[in-house]
Amino acid sequence: MPRSSRLTWERKRPAAMLEIEKVSVFYGEFQAIFDVSLRVSEGETVITVGPNGAGKSTLLKTISGLLQPRSGSITFLGNRLDRMPAHEIVELGIAQVPEGGRLFPQLSVYENLRVGSFLPRARGEATATLKEIYGLFPILDERKRQYADTLSGGERQMLAIARSLMSRPKLILLDEPSSGLAPRVVTRVFEFVHQIKSQGYAILMVEQNVRKGLQLSDRAYLIESGRIVKEGPRKTFLEDDYIKKAYIGL
Amino acid sequence: MTELLLNSIVNGILLGGVLALLAFGMNLIFGVVKIIHLAYGQCVMLGMYVVYTLAVQMHLPVILSCIIALPVMGIVGLVLQLLVINPLLKAKANPLTQLLALAGLTIVVENAAQVVWGADLRGINIQLPLIHIGNVFLRTSNLIAFFGALLTLWGLYLFLNRTYLGLAIRSIAQDLDSARLMGINPRMIYFITMAAGGILTGLIAAFFSPIYAVHPHFGGSFTLMAFIIVVLGGMGNLLGGFIGAFIIGVVTSVSAVLTSTEIADIIVLVIFISVILIRPQGLLGIRVSK
Repeated sequence: MPRSSRLTWERKRPAAMLEIEKVSVFYGEFQAIFDVSLRVSEGETVITVGPNGAGKSTLLKTISGLLQPRSGSITFLGNRLDRMPAHEIVELGIAQVPEGGRLFPQLSVYENLRVGSFLPRARGEATATLKEIYGLFPILDERKRQYADTLSGGERQMLAIARSLMSRPKLILLDEPSSGLAPRVVTRVFEFVHQIKSQGYAILMVEQNVRKGLQLSDRAYLIESGRIVKEGPRKTFLEDDYIKKAYIGL
Repeated sequence: MTELLLNSIVNGILLGGVLALLAFGMNLIFGVVKIIHLAYGQCVMLGMYVVYTLAVQMHLPVILSCIIALPVMGIVGLVLQLLVINPLLKAKANPLTQLLALAGLTIVVENAAQVVWGADLRGINIQLPLIHIGNVFLRTSNLIAFFGALLTLWGLYLFLNRTYLGLAIRSIAQDLDSARLMGINPRMIYFITMAAGGILTGLIAAFFSPIYAVHPHFGGSFTLMAFIIVVLGGMGNLLGGFIGAFIIGVVTSVSAVLTSTEIADIIVLVIFISVILIRPQGLLGIRVSK
């Protein structure tokens, strides 16, 4: 009897798309991440908050394959990622938007988007995806011939997000989308993230603007000094006294 | 005197075309693989020996020999990537180690060439007609080299701008990690770039073969010239390299006529040093702020 009830519980739990199990990451001798476990389900928006240098970006880079964990496992839709090179991970459907966008400065807006569809499986649909993206972000259509480094901060972030959509991902990793942007621009960028979320993409976001980030998310993790110290649904995070005091400033 | 000057300017421009192609190859490799290919001229020299061996020793038609030299030099490029550059990149060697390794490679290549082909001048000995326009004399071989080089550069420009592979090469040159996040495999792009760079040395060798006789130390001066052009134009800047090639071509040719070839080398270096003093980033380079 107890056994079958456990099975029902398993069935109710949404299927994990991304499953990180006890991952540790080092920079040389310096350990940046300690036994971190984290999961993202289909269509879910998850935020990881925490102070500067807590290892949030490191975690995203480890998922996307720019860094490799020393121990632990990362599984995405049944595939082990932790020893896979970055370019193969993209192929499975994970797109990372690096902090600051990391656009190709001397490529035009259009070319930046086109590189986004470099994957053979994305190329066939590139024209259709591009049309969709120009619909979502009309400003990119207007600026398509400009070099990426002539765009404003907000436009760059938009282009970086749009470029990641060109690969037709299932999960988007967003590294500090509000970083270095003026408050009014931040609001707009979060509106775009909200638009993407409502299209059904799963999102794992790392963000210092905790209040705005939490408003968008379904679930949250708090990471401090490379360790996950708290996790839970958005509501408990928004009502948590420690989070309020340390990160939201109430 | 004006005729002489006019002749030397025209010939300088013709030389500039081939130099532009030479510098393009070195620039591309620097931009993508981030390695200064100090043995680039030596690879041209090897290509000329390939043409010589096929055309003179094996009695193949010259055109066929030139065509065969292209894939052969492409393979040489791949082998260099595998044996020299990959280990350097894997060990994350610092720039000085990389330079020393490539400088060592030039010694190996030059001496190997001397062992195989000897120190004598080797040429394919074909005479192409002179063309006479007004008071200007043009060698057909120089014209073929010039227009061939421009056509190749145009093709490369289209390749880099119109194809997915070209776009991948340009994006790797601008931001390696971002390119990896787009699904681009850097190792593959490095191999493709080195193979393309190798094929270019074969092509330049084909253009040079009817103009110059080759000897084991033939490549050194062209490596130096290509390097000067690349730095003059701004490292990694392909348009800057193109302009730089014509400046160096004309300056070399005109000052050789007005003074002597030895003085011409000095003048080229003086111009080079002056530009670097005034604009360390090169003519069209972007200043990197710290």
